[in-house]
Amino acid sequence: MAQRIVPRPNEVRFQGLGPGFWQVTAVLVLLCLANAWYFLYGNIDWLMPSASNPASDRAMDVDGLFKFMAVFGNGIMILVAGYVIYFSIAFRARVGDAPDTIGRQVHDSPKLEFWWTVLPVVLLVVLTGLSINVWYKIQFGVAAPGLTAEVIGHQFYFEYRYPGLKTSVFSKTEAMHLPIGVPVRILITSADVIHQWFVPEFRLKMAAVPGLVQNLNFTPLRAGQYSIECTEFCGPDHSLMQGKLIVEPVAAFNKWLETEKASAAAGGGALVLTGGTADAGKALFTTKCAACHNNPPTPFDQKLVGPGLLHITNDPAHPNLVDGKPPTPENIGGIIHDGFTGDIGTMPNAQANGLAGKDIANLVAYLVSLK
Amino acid sequence: MHAGTSTTHDTHAAHDHIHPAPEGFVQKYIFSLDHKVIGMQYFIFGLLVMLIAGSFAELVRLQLTDPKGAIMSHNAYNEMFTMHGTAMVWIVLIPLVTGAIGNFVMPLQIGARDVAFPWLNMVSFWIVPVSGVVLFSSMLFGGPHAGWTEYPPISLADGTAGALWCAAIFIVGISSTMTGMNFMVTMIKMRAPGMTWTRMPLFSWATFATALMNMVATVALSAATGALFLEHVFNVPFFDATRGGSAVLFEHMFWFYSHPAVYIFIIPAFGVVSEVLPTFARKPIFGYKLIAFSSMAIALLSFTVWAHHMFPSGLAPWLQLPFMILTYAIGIPTGVKMFSWVATIWGGRIHFTTSMLYALGFLITFTFGGITGIFLASVPVDLHMHGTYFVIGHFHYVVAGGAVMGFLAAIPYWYPKATGRMMSERLGVLGFWLFFIGLNGTFLPMHWLGLEGMPRRYASYVEFAAANPDAVFWNRFETAFSFLMAASIGLLAFNVIWSLKHGKIAGMNPWGARTLEWTISSPPPYYNFKKLPEVTGYPYDFGQPMPYANTDNDIEPYPEYGKTVMPTATPAAVGA
Repeated sequence: MAQRIVPRPNEVRFQGLGPGFWQVTAVLVLLCLANAWYFLYGNIDWLMPSASNPASDRAMDVDGLFKFMAVFGNGIMILVAGYVIYFSIAFRARVGDAPDTIGRQVHDSPKLEFWWTVLPVVLLVVLTGLSINVWYKIQFGVAAPGLTAEVIGHQFYFEYRYPGLKTSVFSKTEAMHLPIGVPVRILITSADVIHQWFVPEFRLKMAAVPGLVQNLNFTPLRAGQYSIECTEFCGPDHSLMQGKLIVEPVAAFNKWLETEKASAAAGGGALVLTGGTADAGKALFTTKCAACHNNPPTPFDQKLVGPGLLHITNDPAHPNLVDGKPPTPENIGGIIHDGFTGDIGTMPNAQANGLAGKDIANLVAYLVSLK
Repeated sequence: MHAGTSTTHDTHAAHDHIHPAPEGFVQKYIFSLDHKVIGMQYFIFGLLVMLIAGSFAELVRLQLTDPKGAIMSHNAYNEMFTMHGTAMVWIVLIPLVTGAIGNFVMPLQIGARDVAFPWLNMVSFWIVPVSGVVLFSSMLFGGPHAGWTEYPPISLADGTAGALWCAAIFIVGISSTMTGMNFMVTMIKMRAPGMTWTRMPLFSWATFATALMNMVATVALSAATGALFLEHVFNVPFFDATRGGSAVLFEHMFWFYSHPAVYIFIIPAFGVVSEVLPTFARKPIFGYKLIAFSSMAIALLSFTVWAHHMFPSGLAPWLQLPFMILTYAIGIPTGVKMFSWVATIWGGRIHFTTSMLYALGFLITFTFGGITGIFLASVPVDLHMHGTYFVIGHFHYVVAGGAVMGFLAAIPYWYPKATGRMMSERLGVLGFWLFFIGLNGTFLPMHWLGLEGMPRRYASYVEFAAANPDAVFWNRFETAFSFLMAASIGLLAFNVIWSLKHGKIAGMNPWGARTLEWTISSPPPYYNFKKLPEVTGYPYDFGQPMPYANTDNDIEPYPEYGKTVMPTATPAAVGA
């Protein structure tokens, strides 16, 4: 409450708002304008990598937001720091002061308080709107992305899967490839602990969480080689978990993908389904499949991440498997071996799930034994 | 001004007596029930652990002078940053800001003889060293490695050390919860006659908001660490996705506490600044009601923003939006306070004591940290900055440049009241400049390193250094400046001890301040007030008579800074 206090004789006196107040204010406003000009028109590549030559459309969006924030955020900083320093000098106690000298006994100023509350609120409302716009594009992207690729985090490498490619690309030995100008959706999960897939020049990261599939949407714009980093602590070699990303024209990308497919076909072996036991399969189901499929198995519609598998061989509502093939042991084994990507979601292939030897035979024996 | 009607003293008669004095060394100094002694115990213990946790940070900084990792294995490095963060958050900061300063100052400011539950207060302190022993003992079993956040599933690899980490945090949470409850009851029931809520000093308001958060939020941490402990020891799959659990669940439970926790760090510092600025500018705090009520608004809003720590982590996409909006919203009361503090020094007559220097420095460094927080609050921008050094820069500006600076302002301000001696002003001013320059040199470059993409929690950064040639220079720069901060804290410890014997004798009110603690002797008698004073006005009007009646001592009607410090006592007089 602004009390009516009679000014005392020892209260400090000065003209207006203080000696040199308006000159200092003019200097601070000029600094704010210089800051604004620098962030809007200057080269900030040293701060935000490749800002002047964006690697993706989302990078442009995020940089736009960043610049808006730098204009106003740095502006507020300049004003606060500037006034603190100026007031400390202008209103310092002087050597000759009597000990009972006091400052101007002001309690508040409703008008000032109103404006310095309302203006930041307006700023933040604008910022919210701008952020929601970019947020939507990252989370939902376009209705039909040109390419959906998967990233699976492991200790301590990334595994990449592409549609139609039966094997995976591993960051330890190869780069991830993406095409220029194609809207991409990245689906991300983890095979063990939480990781994060981060490409600084795209300004995007997303966590690889066991049991969840998350997504990012963007369109690469510029050819080049980019760094991928893990940015969620994942164990002793977290610092060594990096990868390379190559963005190239669509033709070059397709050629790379064809090369990968050819070597996968050459290396693939026949699926062995004899000799599997349901008990071994049941144990394996608990460790390998229960992250995404309910355990004990449930009817199809009781999904976890993937559908329930209780009636996989005999469900009148779903007579075929998710890829449209009849539920024979060979076809069930085929999905486990190759993985699956479709409307219902994504299932990693056998390689990603760490299935080897008789594992597939055991799992098929178990699933077929369910009624 | 109407006469103060006291609504909290229907049981006035029951409080209006003095308990017998404590006797014997154990009752006076070990298991003391006196809030002032307990406050000093928290302070000594907190400062000791700060020196240890700070040394771990220096080892972290030394490691990063070489991109291949200069001095330790990856595992040892991971253990160092984990213990640095864990100890600093739970064994240093939470106990210091509430337990040390809150305990010592708040009852004096509200005109009470102690807190509502002194025995509980004593137990709340002793829980902290027990928790500290449990935490540091984890290092004998390999230590925890996954950061002060210790997310499962990776933290489950820490085995016994991880279980001990959970136990230590769970235990210290009991102290926080009890202290929060204790302080709230004290301030609701035991304010001196005539002290209405709008006459209560701002440090006490801050303590009230902090106590509310301590009391309500800590249970979520207990749930998180309790569940993680059960998973460690009894294999209960709370957070194991392969057995029906959820890894992200831990993050929700953990951050539901840990976000209010960061406001628990900072709001007492806000309270200290709100006391120090008026005293040394010799004018009222600007916007008293706005500052008092904004602390409460921040305390309430702090429970609604936790998932901004989880934007890239596993939230349903639509869920990111309300957290972004609420995080922006919480910036408003904080910003309003900052502008009010700047307006407080406008038109003042400023004395640059050590406390004032820290408070002024706080205005600059905390604003910087707050602004980078606004950057991080935007989901798309956070998807770039999360998990990089930008975040480390941000939170050290608000924690070291905010909470710790507030704490460093509080020490020389109330040390004379606690000990009857002034701290060395020269060492204090030197300590301030070392800290301020050291802090900016260490944490400013982290912002651009982070934007370039340098990930946090990396024991080596060979690939990043290859792609960013200036990375090694800036890391070495940061390490060099970090030693200035270390020197400052070392100097503080020395000053605290040296001043006990050699500091100028302090009078009752060396700063010419106006809150109730300055109306009793330095140090106060164990019972604080022989007669409970009557409060007749609000405390920040300088040049007016002090707004108290029925005080124990004759108080200066118009306390004047510069005249109130007693001259250095001669050796003969000290013993008198």
